[in-house]
Amino acid sequence: MSETAAVDAQVRGAAGVPLLAVDGVRKRFGGLTAVKGASFTLAAGEIVGILGPNGAGKTTLFNLLTGFIAPDAGSVKLDGHELKGLAPYRIVNRGLARTFQLTRPFLGMSVLENVLVACLAPRVRHRMASEEHARRILDQVGLREKAASPVEVLPYGDLRRLEIARALATDPRLLLLDEPFAGLGSSEIEPLANLIKRLHREENLTILIIEHKLREFMALVSRVIAMDFGEIIAVGTPAEIVRHPRVIEAYIGRTEGDGAAA
Amino acid sequence: MKVRAIDIGGAIGAVALLALAPVLGNSGYLTGVLTLCVIYAIWAASWDFMSGLTGRENFGHALFIGAGAYTAGFLATVYFANPWWSLPLSVVVAMAFAVIVGFPTLRLRGPYFALAMLSAAAIMQRLMLIFWEQTGGEEGLYGLEPLINSPLHYYWFVLAVMVVTAAVLMLLARSHWGLILRAIKGDEATCQAAGINVTFYKIASLMISAAFAGLGGALYAHYQLQVSPPLFSVITSITIIIMVYVGGMGSIWGPVLGAILLTLLTEMLRGFGEYRLWIYTLVLMLILFFLPGGLVAPLWRRLTGARS
Repeated sequence: MSETAAVDAQVRGAAGVPLLAVDGVRKRFGGLTAVKGASFTLAAGEIVGILGPNGAGKTTLFNLLTGFIAPDAGSVKLDGHELKGLAPYRIVNRGLARTFQLTRPFLGMSVLENVLVACLAPRVRHRMASEEHARRILDQVGLREKAASPVEVLPYGDLRRLEIARALATDPRLLLLDEPFAGLGSSEIEPLANLIKRLHREENLTILIIEHKLREFMALVSRVIAMDFGEIIAVGTPAEIVRHPRVIEAYIGRTEGDGAAA
Repeated sequence: MKVRAIDIGGAIGAVALLALAPVLGNSGYLTGVLTLCVIYAIWAASWDFMSGLTGRENFGHALFIGAGAYTAGFLATVYFANPWWSLPLSVVVAMAFAVIVGFPTLRLRGPYFALAMLSAAAIMQRLMLIFWEQTGGEEGLYGLEPLINSPLHYYWFVLAVMVVTAAVLMLLARSHWGLILRAIKGDEATCQAAGINVTFYKIASLMISAAFAGLGGALYAHYQLQVSPPLFSVITSITIIIMVYVGGMGSIWGPVLGAILLTLLTEMLRGFGEYRLWIYTLVLMLILFFLPGGLVAPLWRRLTGARS
């Protein structure tokens, strides 16, 4: 076996299947096809970005992967097991967790309680259902001092971290982050990017990040999936993606001929 | 929220006062009124467990109350069973109703659950009239035996059931279960993202709520010694909701005290004849307007200096 093949096998796991395999996933809302047959794979240990302008179908794709919206067609496999048709909470319990673009904390509860709820998911409750564990996760994301605060008084940047903490509490193998930097000031972006890097490295998490601004995650991801109008238009390293003609077109504008065709 | 010594002291004091009041008052009338107070307290506590914690308001709690009461009625008049069978069987029947109504409606969001509960109770009330040959129609079912012959002893028994009910529901509300129910109130989609089976917890908590409501229904049937269709009425359900609001939603013990106070208030106002309803309604409107968080639980927290 060659060295690259050995590394490849290691990354893909013993069974040789990718951690996530998305095949031909499609969703129509009335006359609008929000996602037109997306296919891609993620290897275990990868950190990949989904890039695209607003309305490209990125969040819909996340909702399709996590069961919040049922796909019309296609399949989503985590470690070879079909996720399509499972309720969202079941998908979380298979090891695929997500955050929301608009932060959605449990109102009326403390920061610690917010994380503790996710520690009670069936997949993890036998070993995680404790305040101690929830505190350890708050430690990881840098919210330790705020454990007792009601979520209503949390500044926006901390709510973003709380989203990640709640997802981490379910002990995911694959973490989907929906625009984790949205609404953050430039001074807040870098520490959060460092947190994501650290989680990727130390927890051996596979991470898929949505972002519509390329700059934010250029240094973070090893591979980028670019979307526009519900389609995957390019896949490659960040350096390749910024030079890709279809990506430039999607961001800067269309030539007249293409515009008429679309 | 931590349980403090003063809370436990207050609870013991309140229960002792309730237990001794009929002896000190030495009045059969008072015993009867207090029995009613305590039965309403069971209903209010059971409503609060499901609806107060999850925020899914149940406008047909009377469905479970009536189901429990009529179970007791049928057992007594059709099967001539030992009256003690009423208690376990009313619990089972009420829980069955919770599954039948909860399973199709609690999976959905929006007002479906509230509307379904409201209509289910109304339908049951009509059915009691339509199948009058079996149910006794407007008259209802007569001839139930008391569980305990002495009204005072029966009152103490019902009081003990109420204390156990409130204690069980409060322990559950403070456990991980209660945390999940409060999270459901916060955001169902986030609960899903946290890996929680929202539908399971909603239906299971409705079943627990129904179990205690049905038990209270059977206790009521063996107190009145008859059951009739108004048990299923929307007025029963709304009365309980008002008691919970006055007591302070989500605390279980607040609604218990709210139920006792409002039942006593209703009785005290009997002397005012037809003005009774006016005064009662005015008091409620003032409380709900000026104290939207309720009266009893917030007041106690403030008086005892709790940080909530």
